[in-house]
Amino acid sequence: MSEAFSFESVVLERDGRRILDGVSDHIHAGAVTAIIGDSGAGKSTMLRLFNRLEDPTSGTIRFKGEPIDSVNVHQLRKRVSLVAQTPVMLAATVLEELRIAAPELTQDRALELLGQVALADVDLDRETVTMSGGERQRLALARALTVDPEVLLLDEPTSSLDDASASAVDLVIRTLAASGLTVVLVSHDLDRVQGVADFVLVLEKGRLVERGSPEQVRYLS
Amino acid sequence: MNTTAQIPDWAGVATSVVLVLLAASLALYQRLGVTRDLVWAGTRAFVQLLAVGALLTVLFAHAGLWGSAAWVVGMVVLAGFVAAGRAQGLPTARVSAWIAVGLGTLLTLGILLALGVVKAEPIVVVPVGGMVVSAAMSATALTMRAIAKTAIEQRPAIEARLSLGMTGAAAFAPYLREGARTALIPAIDTTKVVGLIALPGAMTGLILAGVSPFDAIRYQIVVMYMLLAAATLSSVIVARLTTSSLFDSADRLVRFDHEG
Repeated sequence: MSEAFSFESVVLERDGRRILDGVSDHIHAGAVTAIIGDSGAGKSTMLRLFNRLEDPTSGTIRFKGEPIDSVNVHQLRKRVSLVAQTPVMLAATVLEELRIAAPELTQDRALELLGQVALADVDLDRETVTMSGGERQRLALARALTVDPEVLLLDEPTSSLDDASASAVDLVIRTLAASGLTVVLVSHDLDRVQGVADFVLVLEKGRLVERGSPEQVRYLS
Repeated sequence: MNTTAQIPDWAGVATSVVLVLLAASLALYQRLGVTRDLVWAGTRAFVQLLAVGALLTVLFAHAGLWGSAAWVVGMVVLAGFVAAGRAQGLPTARVSAWIAVGLGTLLTLGILLALGVVKAEPIVVVPVGGMVVSAAMSATALTMRAIAKTAIEQRPAIEARLSLGMTGAAAFAPYLREGARTALIPAIDTTKVVGLIALPGAMTGLILAGVSPFDAIRYQIVVMYMLLAAATLSSVIVARLTTSSLFDSADRLVRFDHEG
């Protein structure tokens, strides 16, 4: 299995505080990897590093074998798309939201993307302010897919959702991974990613302490 | 110009101190906690105006046009400091403010002088320059403040746009327009109601100096248009400069000094 990302001795310091402390590992391409840890463990920071919203203080990160800072940053962010924990809606209607980064997006393609994220019954002219948390989460996923990414970075995609919405998002993630997309998601709960993730990395106070399949990590912990 | 204005003598000025004392006494009686500030502001205004009066007398008599230009440059430098102080820690705020106020002033004043609308004489360049710098400073400060506030408050939305591969300029474009628009509202509103709510300064000064109101308004119209132009130019320039300084070489929204 090839590597989407590899990272070695990654340290990130912010305001004199060490957020990541010498993290080394890799992310498999075409699989779902969950980064697990308590609040402040450095999970979300890892996603920001993969999307270059931040750069490490020291250490190296490679994307598909290339040093990440040698890839054009705008191209990188289209290839590695990040969905924040609480997605911000950027436009008034669903169609406008999907055209934020893809102004030429056709209505047919928009409907196709909505179908991919289990929002097939949502009208394109529906106002985004009327959508529930789960629907917004999935619309943000669809918005990230409009730039045809190779990797999706999802920050706590189901943390604020009820069980039904969370299960719908889980199913979308598995479907996307089955189509060859690499998914890296962050969660504070190992149980939550059971059945979704192929691999789990466990961060504790900025250090990588476990890695393996969800079952292996559960057994070790 | 026919100077029929009755200028108060120093005894008149001394008498007007009674007004400050009245205000201070009222503040003290009402326990507003601003008595010391009132007295300090009154004293400071007296000293500042005395110094400026003396300096301008010397300037108009001896310094010539270049001395007046240097005076305007000095005002631009000072205005840059003041405007940057309102920028809430924006990167390169001071340099951006100097460039915006400087260019706004240069273009506005330069056009008026080049077209002969105002005379290239120290007695004109200094006060007219002061009005232009003041308008440019106010618009610059308001624009920078609006942009800084937006960059802090809208960080999640801006980063969401950046995460989709947008450039910093594109990610900030919706907020840039709003920032410049907000900053120009006072200048536009003042222009809309000029003469209706309050008689503007230049016109008042001319009328006090004995110029007929109909002649005074011609000057005031030029002044209002000049102030609108200076404010708009400075606001647009500082908005552009500030936006580019919000993002680093990898198009990341930089963190301000006091941001969490």
